Amino acid sequence: MHVDLQTVCRVFENVLNGSMSREQADRWAYAVVLEEETGIVTYSPPHERDRIWAGVMYLYGVDTMKAPGEYLHSDSDISAAMNAKLGEAVDSKAAMLLLAVATSSRRNA
Amino acid sequence: MTVSFIPGIDAAPSLDNQVGAGATTERPAFAAVVVQIKQTPPPASASQHLSHERLHQIDRVFFGPFFREKYGRGGDKALENDRIRYYGLIQPTDDGGELAGRRYVHEFDTMTGCTRGWHETVDRAGNVRQIRPERNDGIARHYQFDNNGRYRGSW
Repeated sequence: MHVDLQTVCRVFENVLNGSMSREQADRWAYAVVLEEETGIVTYSPPHERDRIWAGVMYLYGVDTMKAPGEYLHSDSDISAAMNAKLGEAVDSKAAMLLLAVATSSRRNA
Repeated sequence: MTVSFIPGIDAAPSLDNQVGAGATTERPAFAAVVVQIKQTPPPASASQHLSHERLHQIDRVFFGPFFREKYGRGGDKALENDRIRYYGLIQPTDDGGELAGRRYVHEFDTMTGCTRGWHETVDRAGNVRQIRPERNDGIARHYQFDNNGRYRGSW
């Protein structure tokens, strides 16, 4: 299996824009973790392995709920984690998405 | 940590070869090298056995490189049953309630090599309030506990 930084970014983005469910993101990350156990995952770029893995491990379990039908993490939690884990790998498009999520959260508050 | 190993093998040439009836008494021009295996005595007393705590320390050091980097950024703990638990960092939640976030826990059995994992939701006091095991059937089930650790139910 091959995992690159942009793919992890895209999964975060897809969760935030609603085109991927959190459950799907969790299963995608779980598949990476399973493959990692067999030692045949390659990371691209290789020097970003730590950041890629941190992103995967966040997405693994991102669908955890605190009560039936109520996710533990808010969208702003996820966008903050995306920023923290992937850092500058988050491109300008994602930054716009983060801004939109943050604005939406403030409106809803 | 350095684990020293003392091999009980000495290599030495031997001239004590058994010879057959038809053999001449003439000494051969060369002697075969025979490896003599030295009997390693058993530990003289129970005090020479490694303590369980020491074995746990060795396990943690030995298996650490395989798991700590991936799953143990939040720490690890050797259990009495020869298992090691690796704790991921807590992924925070900003719900403003009593829950602090979640973390992934990976458990490795040093005797069998089996692993298992689950997601824990912890409160701000550090109590585990919910676990979600990774099941083979892929069904996500949450098991809840109160702040005293008593099981409350699952869904």
